[in-house]
Amino acid sequence: MDAKMITFGDTAMEKLLQWLRSVGEPKDIDDLLRQYLEILSSLVMEENE
Amino acid sequence: MTGAPPMGTVEQHDLADEIYQLLIAQGTLFALHAPIRQTLTNLTEFLALRHQYDRETLAAGIETALEADPRFTREEVAGEVRFVTSRHGAYMPRQEVDTHSFRQRLHEPEHPLPVDDISVVVSTSRPAITSVEPVYISDYWQVQVGITPVEDGGDEDEAETGQFVAPIHEPVASTEGVKSPVVAFDEVLSPADVVTLAETESAITAQTTGEQEAAESEVLQPDMPQTLVEPVEGETITHAPVAPVAPVTPVPSVQMPPAGRQTVERATIFTLPDGTMIDLRQPSEALLAEHGSALAQLLADKIEQDPLRRIVSFGRYYFPEANVVNLGKNDLRKIREYMLERNEPLLDAELINDVFYHNARQADYEGLRFSINYRLHREKDFEFVGVEGANLWSTRGLPVIGGKRIKAAEMGQITSYLVEGFDDSRDSIDGGTATEVTSVTHQLTFFEWEYGIIPLDAALATLLPGPVLTDQRSAVLRFDSPQRYSQVLVEVRYPTGNRGGWLQGFEEFFHEHLVPSALVTLTRTDEPGIFTLTYEEGNESDERILTFDEKKNKLGFNNVTFYCAIDEDLLPSQSRLGRLNRLKAFPMGERRKAEMILEHVAEVIGEQVGTRAEPQYAITLDDFFVAYNVLRPASKRLLRSLLEHSPGFVADETTPDLFTYVPMTGTDVEANEDEDEEQREPEVSRADVPPTRRRYGGRYDEDDE
Repeated sequence: MDAKMITFGDTAMEKLLQWLRSVGEPKDIDDLLRQYLEILSSLVMEENE
Repeated sequence: MTGAPPMGTVEQHDLADEIYQLLIAQGTLFALHAPIRQTLTNLTEFLALRHQYDRETLAAGIETALEADPRFTREEVAGEVRFVTSRHGAYMPRQEVDTHSFRQRLHEPEHPLPVDDISVVVSTSRPAITSVEPVYISDYWQVQVGITPVEDGGDEDEAETGQFVAPIHEPVASTEGVKSPVVAFDEVLSPADVVTLAETESAITAQTTGEQEAAESEVLQPDMPQTLVEPVEGETITHAPVAPVAPVTPVPSVQMPPAGRQTVERATIFTLPDGTMIDLRQPSEALLAEHGSALAQLLADKIEQDPLRRIVSFGRYYFPEANVVNLGKNDLRKIREYMLERNEPLLDAELINDVFYHNARQADYEGLRFSINYRLHREKDFEFVGVEGANLWSTRGLPVIGGKRIKAAEMGQITSYLVEGFDDSRDSIDGGTATEVTSVTHQLTFFEWEYGIIPLDAALATLLPGPVLTDQRSAVLRFDSPQRYSQVLVEVRYPTGNRGGWLQGFEEFFHEHLVPSALVTLTRTDEPGIFTLTYEEGNESDERILTFDEKKNKLGFNNVTFYCAIDEDLLPSQSRLGRLNRLKAFPMGERRKAEMILEHVAEVIGEQVGTRAEPQYAITLDDFFVAYNVLRPASKRLLRSLLEHSPGFVADETTPDLFTYVPMTGTDVEANEDEDEEQREPEVSRADVPPTRRRYGGRYDEDDE
């Protein structure tokens, strides 16, 4: 994905939700943000390869 | 072995039946229409042994019998005679010709549309985002083929030939020795490869129906790039050429080095609404360190704004809404009843253990914990009074911490000076070093001691935890007294808007162990929500100090024995504040008027330095501070500001912090005061008396007794 297409807080939120469900326990905002950045990064970097 | 009997029609029929039964037995598990084959040799040998017939004669008989039977078909493969049948009877080879396929009906419709209406079936509108996606060719085939890479040359080729060429990798050096049977695309591209649409369809049909055997062969073929075709009327369309592949011997397996993947450069930087550029090539930790707070706030806002509410939050924690456990009315009733039974605010962990019988070892414990907090927060009967790490819940009907002597609205107005810039509690603390505060020492004033209230100034705010929720108005903390082996629940009222905050609930402890001007230390512990309250102990002392009779609403002085260290300068002793004896106190509602209290304190405590006709009162700032804090809390910064800006107060030029107050009222006011005292004395304690300056004397009235 081209990073220019990213809208922070909208793009890939379903993946973040999927991760949160799979974890099975509440996560604080820092963990949530870290995971979200990982998701966005993987989206951009994987398609760059 | 005997000779075979001469066979008539009946015998042939019986023999054919026997053979059919044999073959049916052989193909018991075959499909109904599957061919069951057996050679004449095998049949002859088996039946000759069974019936002791002569082989040659029997073979001729079998052949004759089976040829006459319609259930058998005779085959001759490599000089060997075989008979075929099926469980269904005569074997009928399967017809592969599909006369009613979707492909045929699509390309050869019964009523084809005229070419003019091609737009009916083919959209001529371009997609919103036009992007040519590269066709990915697997690494394996690229290495096998050894094609020279085409670096971003697709556009040029596309322009020249009208076809799309997929970008291809560099061949790996170690595979150069592998002979490639594939001819380069450019070399095989000839005019014959340029075909019309109709020719392409027929070619595709032929290729897909008749090439199965070729596909099974071991001839290497590269993956062909897909051709992007835009059907335009009357235009010749060029398809990707199919490289003619010469049959070669199978290539033995070659140890392939890991082939690198094609890198397509795309932007890795996105922009936040405030213009901040975020580069996703940086590690997450670096991004968090640089933009963590802004990103967290933005993400939290986005989650809150989600109309589907897929993720819900409680404090800093987030959980999928679908995973939140629902609590029914019965659950909420049980929680409330349990809290009323315990008669104090309870932690969420206690509710889970005692009401839901869940323990922390269970897998869904954290989920249930979040659910309880999230659900209780949405209920009117429950109020969150916890801090970070200690989710404490209160409910309607629990005793009020700190009593009801002072209304919260009145106290909020009285402590408003803290949020108006008159808080000097951190003046003595170096801002650079006071990053981590673990304890705060505080000197009790008379007001604080009397009501058990400590204003939530900046020093205490750095020590105490802040609110967890945005709409949280208070928190309940536990203060342990290691010197008295007791504990006290204290409610922290957080500042809201232009109203200050305070701590309430110390009244009993202060009255029991301390006196005004005692020094108390509040210290943080490892447990969130639990603090310690200590004071400096001293020898037994006996002083006549100021007290307040709640029933009579009058100040007075009593002998008090205490065992704590005090500050003599701040002690409200009779020798210092003797003029307050037997005076009535202001109603709490009027004490919020700082200037009015200031003038009244000056008149009562100040030393009369004028004449009877033109009184003037001199008072030092320290005396002001002690006397003023009898009625309401105030900082020295507030007092100094009031003294500098209030009319009637003049700073002495020779003595620092000495002020002279000249009442602005004339003799008429004094004359009226006597009448007002008599008429309005019964109403003094009522809060609805208008606080005008001429009635100040009515508040501090000497007792007649």
